Amino acid sequence: MRPLQTIAVGFDGSLDAEAAVRWAFELASQVDADVVVIHAVGLLEYAADRGVAVELEKTVERLAREAGIDSARVHWNLADGDPCSVLIRAGVGPVAADLLVVGSRGQGAHAGLLLGSTSHELAEHAAVPVVIVPTGREGQ
Amino acid sequence: MEGIDDLHLGTDVQIVAPHVANLAQMTRVHDTAYLNELAAFCQAGGGQLDPDTYAMVDSWSAARRAAGAGLAAVDALRQRDDGVAFVVARPPGHHALRDRAMGFCLLNNIAISAAALTADDERVLIIDWDVHHGNGTQAIFWDDPKVLYVSTHQWPLFPGSGTAQEIGGPHALGRTVNIPLPAGATGDVVRRAIGEVALPAIDDFDPTWVLISAGYDAHRADPLANLALSSGDFAELATMVAGFAPRPGRLVLFLEGGYDVGALRMSVAATLGALLGDSYQPEDSTCGGPGTEMVHQARAEWDEAFHRAWLLTPSERRVR
Repeated sequence: MRPLQTIAVGFDGSLDAEAAVRWAFELASQVDADVVVIHAVGLLEYAADRGVAVELEKTVERLAREAGIDSARVHWNLADGDPCSVLIRAGVGPVAADLLVVGSRGQGAHAGLLLGSTSHELAEHAAVPVVIVPTGREGQ
Repeated sequence: MEGIDDLHLGTDVQIVAPHVANLAQMTRVHDTAYLNELAAFCQAGGGQLDPDTYAMVDSWSAARRAAGAGLAAVDALRQRDDGVAFVVARPPGHHALRDRAMGFCLLNNIAISAAALTADDERVLIIDWDVHHGNGTQAIFWDDPKVLYVSTHQWPLFPGSGTAQEIGGPHALGRTVNIPLPAGATGDVVRRAIGEVALPAIDDFDPTWVLISAGYDAHRADPLANLALSSGDFAELATMVAGFAPRPGRLVLFLEGGYDVGALRMSVAATLGALLGDSYQPEDSTCGGPGTEMVHQARAEWDEAFHRAWLLTPSERRVR
């Protein structure tokens, strides 16, 4: 297995996603990897105020500062699509991530059902390993 | 429906009551587990399925009727052996995957009708002129040689799939044709895309039925995208694709996207007017927008991918 070079983490602004980003930053710092923070731009967000993505990027910058990760290691990536599809593509496309990281439940995923669950879909379809970070468990 | 009223067609329009798609019809394209989950989710009150897709208590019933409306349209055309059918139904369907709702779509309406037709050994051409790539339809028929899927769509844009290199699975090489277009592309570019890139595959395929994913969000007024078509362009597109049907009574259009109500009304009317020989055209067709280079590039990329795939042995094609 080759060393981790690129970690992709999904971010939709939810608390679960913040936990996933913190976990990814901590792992990246330990193994000296880059982190690509990916935000999926859906149908409605495309038509909405671009300020949504700007605010999310600021949040990622804050999380990076708090984690003490080298900012040159952090890359912000807006990708057209639903959260699951853009993360699956991150494992094979230009991002070529070695590892995908997601929160246990992002925005829009319904608790208790598999339906719409990004983490479940990823586990089934991703070409690279997937880490699902439960809320409140990052850093443990 | 108001767009249809604008044509004043009177008794030339027959309203066909939708069927409610049954499990056997839906499981041709959707996993049983997904259907059971979706039904239970709606019955429990519904909620957000993804950032774009919401379901309510009645959504399961509405989705089954939308899918069943397509099946009813096919049945009606078979009985008449004449005319065209327009499935005015929501929720739309072309983003719905075999096992997942997505992009406002719960059940893949056009795929359910296409699968019903291929079960009867028909060859089905699907042309998807919605501004978004129909990832669900493409995925469902990816390796099915009985369906030719052709899509024109804005690129980059949701859902992020639909490159020209995506040409179909090992048993259906060349049965997928994607033509991504840049923001600002006009109607002449879309027509050129179909004529220059897809037409050879359509001629080779020789369809017995033509189904259209008729989204109207490529209209210049639509808030969800940035292509620059007018309602007049949809009239010209409709005339073009009708020519791919082998005979009358073999063309069904399925409403997909379209989120500016005025543009939707004009575009639906212009589409149906063109198909029925009416001169109704509330806006001139458009030309001169960007995209010619992307059309040429799509042609080259599709050709290259197709020939590269055929150079592989059958077993290598399966592995890939």
